[in-house]
Amino acid sequence: MTTKVLVVADIKHGKLKSSTPELLSKARAIGAETAVVAIGSHMESLIPRLADAGADTQYVADDPGLELFSAGPWASCVAEAAGRFAPDMIWFGFSESGKAVAPRVAARLDAACATDITDVKLEDGRVEITRPAITNKVIQRVQVNAAKLVAVVRAGAFEATQGIGGTQNVVMLSPPAPDAGAVIKEIVSDAGGEIDLADAGIVVSVGRGVKDQAGVALAKQLADDLTAGFGSSRAMVDAGFMPHSKQVGQTGKIVAPNLYIAIGISGAIQHLAGMKGSKVILAVNKDPEAPIFSVADYGIVGDLFEVVPILREEIKKIRS
Amino acid sequence: MKILTTVKTVVDVELNIHVDNGAIVEKGLQYVMNAWDESAVETAVRLKETNGAETTLVSIGGGEDTDKVIRRGFAMGIENGIQIDDPGLAQGDSSVLAKVLQKVYEKGGYDLVITGKQAQDTDNGQTGIMLAEYLGLPCVSNAVAIEVIDERHVKVSRLGDTGTEIIELALPAVITVDVSINEPRLPQMRGIMMAKKKGIEVMDLASLGPSLEEVGARTPKSKIVEFIAPEMRKAGRKFEGDASEITAQVVALLAGDARVF
Repeated sequence: MTTKVLVVADIKHGKLKSSTPELLSKARAIGAETAVVAIGSHMESLIPRLADAGADTQYVADDPGLELFSAGPWASCVAEAAGRFAPDMIWFGFSESGKAVAPRVAARLDAACATDITDVKLEDGRVEITRPAITNKVIQRVQVNAAKLVAVVRAGAFEATQGIGGTQNVVMLSPPAPDAGAVIKEIVSDAGGEIDLADAGIVVSVGRGVKDQAGVALAKQLADDLTAGFGSSRAMVDAGFMPHSKQVGQTGKIVAPNLYIAIGISGAIQHLAGMKGSKVILAVNKDPEAPIFSVADYGIVGDLFEVVPILREEIKKIRS
Repeated sequence: MKILTTVKTVVDVELNIHVDNGAIVEKGLQYVMNAWDESAVETAVRLKETNGAETTLVSIGGGEDTDKVIRRGFAMGIENGIQIDDPGLAQGDSSVLAKVLQKVYEKGGYDLVITGKQAQDTDNGQTGIMLAEYLGLPCVSNAVAIEVIDERHVKVSRLGDTGTEIIELALPAVITVDVSINEPRLPQMRGIMMAKKKGIEVMDLASLGPSLEEVGARTPKSKIVEFIAPEMRKAGRKFEGDASEITAQVVALLAGDARVF
């Protein structure tokens, strides 16, 4: 019997995020029949993209009441799509919305629930997943015994297969009732057009070494040059220079970009926990003994106030 | 307002964790209050101080470690403590723990449940949200600020994907908090001494009410087959010397070998 996977589309500011085709590609790769559920408002332009991303059925909930995220109604839409598609697995991309909705759906469906999975396999008709635990200090291999699994997939865990495509087969879902007990009043935006740390290809992060706002601004220029996500160590957040939403580390965000540039970051264990999955790490620090150098692929020992402008110059040269 | 904080006793992640033969090496491990739940306790105690709320802490687990964690809650200012000590729950996943907590809630009749958004051993982030589902209560997860509006409403700020979500929550409700919501106080000597003498209501599952079957403890939804140590990242190349020279060298390598530009 073919496994069926329902992927919950990750939509931000009306655009489909990379996790959606990535998750659908993985589902196809393990031989599953795929469907996607997309929830929001003004969805018409998105619909063709949903099939292209690799789903053969597209469940769509399109309603003005779904303009602002609210976990209750989102869970209802996913549950309705699941009721119709009868998936064995429901996968969410790694987002705050995904993390808020997945456990609700799992509870409603009495399904197993796994957060931050890095791999999934079908072994003798059973689902086996791999995921980190104990703040990324160990990896668990988990056998799922329940009939259904709801999972939140780690950012970048799966790769999108180019041009996989699917059949356009849209099923409109009925708009869910709003959550009367938890009324979303407004969303106070991050600075407009901010790059999401979780799916940025390059992340530039600042640590205490940048000293102050001027240092932060210097590093931000590098980030802007590279159209990179801009992150922070805990020290800079605690000191009030950076918001918590930018914190990379054990109690902040876990990121795994292609390139992580650590500027003035010493490399405390709890920070390393958040970024050591990066493909390539470049560190700039004036202390040659800084622990960050033990994980950096390339380490520049020097004064970041001198090095960062040179980095920007050299990168401009290479790219032109 | 009656507040229930649910707290987990977890392995201290400041220490090294070793894996041997597919299992975690127990020797040398210490157990502490989950960091996220410390923030939940702090949130509850502040509501006690500013709004006169009555606070209760519940922890599922046995032994000295769970006792120590509950007493830390007392030392921080929590008034009542409940311990659910039953070996049958030791392997319980988030859904099992949530079902047990559901029974604790139903026994007490609380207005607000506050818990950390995730536990540092499992990193699941599911229990609090599942508890709300089982109870049919509204829930906000990943809260970074809570403001009491009146006896039946609180305003919660939550870190979402596009910014900070401002939500009006009707009580009774469940809130899971992020560590950035506050800096948990360090228990003072007086609190620690008082905590040593305070009584904890200890129950096994049967005394609480449900059977192991009812909470799903006999039919685990998943099983950890193996623990594996993550691949150690090795140090790469460190460059010292003239800033212009070494930086140019590194950029060339990043563009060439690593191909990240």
